[in-house]
Formats: sequence, C-alpha cells, structure tokens
Amino acid sequence: MTTTEETPRLPFDRANALEIAPDYEVLRRRAPVTRVLTPAGDPAWLVTSYEAAKEVFRDRRFGRSHPAPEQASRISYAAVQDGPSGDFENEEREHKRMRRMLAPAFSAPRMRALGDHIAELTDRCLDDLQAARDANPGEPVDLTDFLAFPLPVLVICELLGVPYADREHFRGLSERIALMNGGEDAQAAMAEFMAYMTKLADAKRADPQADVISDMVAVQADDPTFTDEDLARMGAGLLFAGHETTSTRIAMGTLFLLSDPSRRDRFAADPEGQVDQTVEEILRLTATSGTGLLRYAHEDVEIAGTRIARGDAVLISSDSANRDASVFTDPDEFDPGRTPNVHLAFGTGAHVCIGANLARTELRTVFPKLFRRFPGLRLTVGIDEIPVRVNRVAGGVDRVPVEW
Amino acid sequence: MKITVDTGSCVSSGQCVLLAPETFDQNEDDGTVVLLSAEPSAGEEDAVRQAELTCPAAAIRLAGS
Repeated sequence: MTTTEETPRLPFDRANALEIAPDYEVLRRRAPVTRVLTPAGDPAWLVTSYEAAKEVFRDRRFGRSHPAPEQASRISYAAVQDGPSGDFENEEREHKRMRRMLAPAFSAPRMRALGDHIAELTDRCLDDLQAARDANPGEPVDLTDFLAFPLPVLVICELLGVPYADREHFRGLSERIALMNGGEDAQAAMAEFMAYMTKLADAKRADPQADVISDMVAVQADDPTFTDEDLARMGAGLLFAGHETTSTRIAMGTLFLLSDPSRRDRFAADPEGQVDQTVEEILRLTATSGTGLLRYAHEDVEIAGTRIARGDAVLISSDSANRDASVFTDPDEFDPGRTPNVHLAFGTGAHVCIGANLARTELRTVFPKLFRRFPGLRLTVGIDEIPVRVNRVAGGVDRVPVEW
Repeated sequence: MKITVDTGSCVSSGQCVLLAPETFDQNEDDGTVVLLSAEPSAGEEDAVRQAELTCPAAAIRLAGS
C-alpha cells in the first residue's frame, strides 16, 4: 500500500506474477469491504471477501453506469474500466439486448463445435514454437509470441469475423487503451479502435458472414436504438477482451505449471485426465487486474454491514475473493484436486463473462497439447525475473521464456 | 437427485452445459438453459453439483442427494 494507513491506494505491489499483494489479506481480515483510493486518486470501495464479492456481482442495484457520470469516481486514465459506461436510465435494457444478441454465438454447444478447430490452430502454434526453437538452437523461445498471444487472437478473429492480418494494428490499440496512465492517448486509441470496427461493420453490412459482427449488424437493422457507436464500442470491447484475457491465462497457466517441476510432471503424466480441474485452478489463482471489476451503486445499498451510497464506486477484487481462506482451504496453494472450485474469475450474476465457455474451451485444449508435445518444457529464468505488467488493466506478463 | 431450472432468471452463460453436457443444453435462439434430464446419470452428479454452485444466476436447484 502506497499511502496512509486510513486510505490505501490501488494498485498494491505484489512479489511476483504468481502471487497477489499481501495487502488484500490484511484488508479482508479487517472487513470484507474497505474504503480505498483508485489509481486515479478518487475514493472507492474495495470488496475483498468471497461472500461480499458474490453478493455485489449478483445485486442488480449495482451497474456500470452512473446517475451523474461527471461526478463519478475515476478508476484510472485508461480507456477501459476507467469510469462509468452506458446510459443510467437504459442500462438494464441495453445490457439484456447485448446478452440476447451475443449469448447464442458464445454458447457452450457452439464452443464445443469449435473445439476441433481450436485444436488444429493450437497444433499450428506449437509447430511455430518448435520452428522458432530450431531456428536458434540453444536460445530460449518466448511462449507468448508463438502461443499465448496468437492462439486466442486466431480464435477471436474467426468468431467475430475480424481479419487476422490486422492483428498488429489492434494489438497496438489494445495496449494503448488499457494503459492505466494512458490519458489522451488511450482515448485517441479507443477512437481509432471504434473507427476500425465501424469500417468492419460496413463491410459486413455489404457482405454478411457467419460471424458475430455480422450478427450485430443484423440486430442493428431491426433496432434503431442500437447505434453505430454502440456497435463499434461493443465490437472493440469483444476483440480486446477476447484476446487479452485468455492470452494472460495461457501465459500464467504455463508459469504455474512450470514454476514447480513436480507440478509439471504430475500434469504431463495425464494431461487429459487432469485438465478440467487444472484449468479451474489456473483461473482461480491468476491475478490479472490491479483494481478489480468496477461497479457503481445505483441506490443506497448495505453490503456486509457497510453502507454504500448511491453513485459510489465499488471495485470487486476477484483476485482477493478467490484466495479467501473461509472458502478455499490453503488458498495460496496450487491444488488441481480442489473440488468444488467455485471461483469468481469470470465474475457471476447478470454481468458474468460472456466468453467463459470460449476461454475454458481454449484453455482445456492448450495445456494438454502443450505438455504432450513438450513434456520437458521449462522456464529459462526464475519466476521473480518475469516482470508483471502492473500498469495494464488486464495485467499479465511480458514474456514466458522457455526451452525443452 | 432431482433438478429444476428457472429459465426466467437464467442469464445464458452456458457454464452448466460445459460442465454437465448430458444434463443441460442451451436454447439456440437466446442461450437460456434447457434441461435434458431432470435426473442426472450417476457419472454426472458431481458435475451437476458443480453446475448448481457455479451458475451465475443461481437458476439451478437440486433436491435430494
């Protein structure tokens, strides 16, 4: 914690990529909900316990919009999760429309049908990883360059109908919109990102395909209140979330499995039999965001004995909730045998991550393939030498140098 | 074990379908839950329990052991 005892300021420092800041446990022991300052310096409530996190996620009196946006606490100077979004009067209606439109495209049956294709794409990424190794024998290879980044991008591009050839363009934009101190540049990047999606939507309007952007364009044709700006913002949000988050989980999952050789060997001995539970444990323990997920109270609400006033910002720390000892025994231990493992990595309630099935399908495909092909995979540096991207909304690490 | 689902509160996350595909499915139009079997096979009981706990809308209810 970088400020006075009374009001801790986010983000908190953590020892390395696999741990979370010890401050969360200190705060949780005192109270499930704590007054904090956001990275932008504004007041907010930080939710650190599992029960309170679940309660806020499920309580419809919290939303992403604000009754008076100009007075709302700012979280950061990024262009995502930085402050209120959407229209206070219509949030629930607009949110339902969005879910109805997107739910079929991200449903479990669709994701299952996509499974074989994700497997093929994974094999191709692993071929590239091997080729990179062969090109420079004796040199470490960065797993993020050949697997953790390209795989989720290939998949989300196909699902949304975004040309993969544009990846460097939207990778750059994604990085700029998510920089916590991005300020004007983050806003400029968001404008550019939305212009890119608008152009893509125009192309789909002229020539619809079996993809999500075409679905959105079709919905728009019947619903004039769904504006071009809504569509562009939603499309950019999906493209951003669809690769940043899964990418981070692949990188972090690999780090969890490689940071302890016995853990790696246990998984490599029976990847298919262990993958479902291993993925849940990776999801539970992967700490990504330094702020948690943002909500604003739409009326006065009492949570775990704390009165939260209408308009107050609430940051729900899933990272902290997922290590709450009252729910998870030895919460900091990586235990793939944990059951049940009802973590909050995807949130819960009406705003639960729409890509949860997609993420699970990708992660359940990647790890068995990676460790079948490279059972002796190892890190070439210590875990403490892998820097955490603290200044980014989605967190993550810059590189995962490996050899085998 | 007897399962009931509340399609009115379902938020179409489909997490139950990925966990217990023989018991749950999703409506193709809006993604809401479809109960394939009110009594899961013995092999899927644990998965159904996990689905009940995981459901983001608490729309799955279990009765009996």
